Amino acid sequence: MTDLAFAILSLAAILFVVRLLRGPSVPDRVVALDGLLITVMCAVLVGAADQGSAIGIDTVIVVALLGFISTGVLARYVEQRGG
Amino acid sequence: MDLVGGIVLVIGSLFILLAAVGTVRFTDIYARMHAAAKGPALGVMLVGIGTAMTIRSIPATVGVSLVIMLQLVTGAVGSHMLSRSVYRKLRPPLDGTDELAEREAHE
Repeated sequence: MTDLAFAILSLAAILFVVRLLRGPSVPDRVVALDGLLITVMCAVLVGAADQGSAIGIDTVIVVALLGFISTGVLARYVEQRGG
Repeated sequence: MDLVGGIVLVIGSLFILLAAVGTVRFTDIYARMHAAAKGPALGVMLVGIGTAMTIRSIPATVGVSLVIMLQLVTGAVGSHMLSRSVYRKLRPPLDGTDELAEREAHE
């Protein structure tokens, strides 16, 4: 089951990278990066479920906060400099 | 319990995949933002619940519930910040009436 979840998350990561490379404006790329970060969070959670230990969950908390802060900073950048 | 947790994990991953497909396929920046903000909220929630059901220990459950709460709060706030700056700076073409412009002009 975890292998299937890993496969689905890999496909999602590839699609987010497609939008990251294609996206015409800066906010498109910000959205794609945020989605990529969420995909990584979910992959670490699935990995923790695969290992059967709570070893990666602290990492997921840090990554969630980091994603929020980076989205806020980039939104401020878009508002001041334009996309 | 492991089987149910695995099924919940796969369903949560499918929601992340749905968000990725929406991010690639939609044509408008607002539509893309909506796909990337709503899908992962439920996706992270389901993946976290599946992880907690698979591991079944107190530290894992506490950490996963913290992750879910953080994602629910920060996802909405972050995408709102980003869409506000897009509305103010980029001015993408809208397909209807612009009610926010009247409000902002009034303020």
